[in-house]
Amino acid sequence: MSTEIQNAAKSHAGRWEPYVDNGGTSLAIAGPDFCIIASDTRQSEGYSINTRYDSKVHQITDKVLFATSGYSADGKKLAENIKIQAEKYLDKNDKIIQAPSIAQMTSIIMYQKRFFPYYVFPILAGLDGEGKGCVFSYDPVGNMERVGFQVYGSASALIQPFLDNQVGLKHQENVDKNRTLSKQEAFDLAIDSFTSATERDIYTGDYLEIYTVDSTGIHKEVRTLKFD
Amino acid sequence: MSFGKVFKSSVGVKPSSHLYGLDDDIFDDRSVSEQPAEFSNSHIDVKSQKDSLIKLAHGTTTLAFKFKNGIIVATDSRATSGNIIASQTVKKVIEINPYLLGTMAGGAADCSYWERELGRRCRLYELANKERISVAAASKLLSNMVYSYKGMGLSMGTMICGWDKKGPGLFYVDSEGQRLRGDLFSVGSGSTFAYGILDTGYKYDLETADAIELARRAIYHATHRDAYSGGYIRMYHIKEEGWEFIGLEDVGELYYKYAEESK
Amino acid sequence: MSSSLLLSKKNSDVTENGTYKHTTSPIVTGTSVLALKYKDGVMMASDCLASYGSLARFRNVRRLQPIGTHTILGASGEISDFQFIQNQFEGLMLKEHVEDGQKLETSSIYRYLSNVMYGRRSKVDPLWNKYIVAGVEPSKNNNIFLGFVDLYGTTYQSSVMATGFGAHIALPIMRKYAEPRADSLTEEEASKILDDCMRVLYYRDARSFNKIQKAKVTAQGVEISEPYSLSTNWDFAESIIGYGS
Repeated sequence: MSTEIQNAAKSHAGRWEPYVDNGGTSLAIAGPDFCIIASDTRQSEGYSINTRYDSKVHQITDKVLFATSGYSADGKKLAENIKIQAEKYLDKNDKIIQAPSIAQMTSIIMYQKRFFPYYVFPILAGLDGEGKGCVFSYDPVGNMERVGFQVYGSASALIQPFLDNQVGLKHQENVDKNRTLSKQEAFDLAIDSFTSATERDIYTGDYLEIYTVDSTGIHKEVRTLKFD
Repeated sequence: MSFGKVFKSSVGVKPSSHLYGLDDDIFDDRSVSEQPAEFSNSHIDVKSQKDSLIKLAHGTTTLAFKFKNGIIVATDSRATSGNIIASQTVKKVIEINPYLLGTMAGGAADCSYWERELGRRCRLYELANKERISVAAASKLLSNMVYSYKGMGLSMGTMICGWDKKGPGLFYVDSEGQRLRGDLFSVGSGSTFAYGILDTGYKYDLETADAIELARRAIYHATHRDAYSGGYIRMYHIKEEGWEFIGLEDVGELYYKYAEESK
Repeated sequence: MSSSLLLSKKNSDVTENGTYKHTTSPIVTGTSVLALKYKDGVMMASDCLASYGSLARFRNVRRLQPIGTHTILGASGEISDFQFIQNQFEGLMLKEHVEDGQKLETSSIYRYLSNVMYGRRSKVDPLWNKYIVAGVEPSKNNNIFLGFVDLYGTTYQSSVMATGFGAHIALPIMRKYAEPRADSLTEEEASKILDDCMRVLYYRDARSFNKIQKAKVTAQGVEISEPYSLSTNWDFAESIIGYGS
């Protein structure tokens, strides 16, 4: 038995790393009756840019989007699995699954792989059952929190403090803490966040996909970032 | 005998994925089952290893103590991953049911997943036995569940707090398999600082308002000295009728309150 | 008892003590594959070398494989893993044809391959390759498809792509001359860009070989050239001083 353990340990010593970081940044901001979800489209590996256009935002339902960053292959597979479950829900219950349910389900799907996690930092965002904007953020093993806004990925440390100040109104004096952002303000903040992050983060750039989710549906816009 | 089989037979409880209509065989993936602990320990950051690839949210101060009017439960709200503050708004008290609370320290996902599962099992117990589960039994359910994964990298330090037939119940349960009954606990990286305050001010006969103030001070001073703790103080009071949420207080604002006091 | 159970597990070498032996590094390898989209379809190039470390071991290996009528698969990395994939596709295409009377199109082939690659990486037993899948899809209004997948299961689509050393040396050239004009590039222009890229790679990639193949897919189907050599001119080498010399 002990030799078995030793041999197994040996075969693990020079083990291949099953993870890569493909970079990229995703962002979401919830409003009272809308939600903004934005992601850059650069896919990198080390210092190489694989492609300038690889979508990291996946549509789950007509009200909910799923933005990823980290290891691209895991991100795509996780999104696929969530989509499969959302479709199963529709088949079984004859109604579209709502955001908080997808959120809890995503947490469980991710925890299933607790001992071989998806190397993904996901953000689930859209409109909840009452039509309010919602953002759920996760760690790689499925710890979930409902938040007002979230940035994940290679430029998260650059953008999150900016949103803490501009959306969370942190460290602002003489400001109405109940103030909410308008759709346009949130949209513009998302763009400014990415154009600025592109200047300082080598893994963020090329194109920006911005989705606006509101009572009229999901609207997508693509902007260019810098290609350097 | 194969390695995979040795592991499989040692697993008692699995996440009950079938209940949610999910694929069950993902969890005991062969590549992982060969050496689950080795793999997860080298890739997943459960104890602040700065070089591990997957950094999970953790770092905490939590506390709970019994006193004459029940139990006070208090936590901070900070989560860190590496050097980054992942969140300042984590809810580290898990409302298992109207009579049971669990606290969160260690891996956030481990705590919330298994305490959710505990909630489900407690409900099943109620349905089967037509009465509420005791705090002792509930904490033992949790302890047994995580014990079957011992050595595989789970990280959980929790206090299961509630009120049952015998009165207030308080148990410490962790992922190493330890389960302790007690009157006062603090768990997490800031626990030493919290204990310092608690031990100097604690009496069983504390009035409710004084007990709450003691808990507040303990968390506050822990957030002051422990970089991995901070954010907001969240407090609960457990009474015979179940738990009651006291409130959420910004640590930043408390600083001025206590500074004023010491003048 | 348990060993027979283990032996029935596919694609794994089981050692006596019941552990599995996985690929931890590639042995016989192919270098870069290049591909680009042009006006009428997609074109791909690779050399015919299979290296054994620094030894040019097999010098007549075809690394561009037609799959069905309108798809080509280009492989770099471990040659034995590529041969395993070739076998898989042979079986799959036959099965699809016999059972459904269908020929799989490029995007389906790409999806299948991507799932195989991701599945193997998830067993921590990867197929040590980087693949480029290229084709034209007659049922989708002759949509031109070009996709990449590697040993991690990482996937992306683009109008120009290169594996291995080509990603460093050839890709910038293709991004400059082919990518902006993918819709208007003629076959001759595409062919010349690939030849130029392969030539530069031959000058600088020590694991490359001047016996190359080119393949194209158009609405008419797949065409793969016989191996040929490029004209070279090494005069420039004289003037290189420093690290390059």
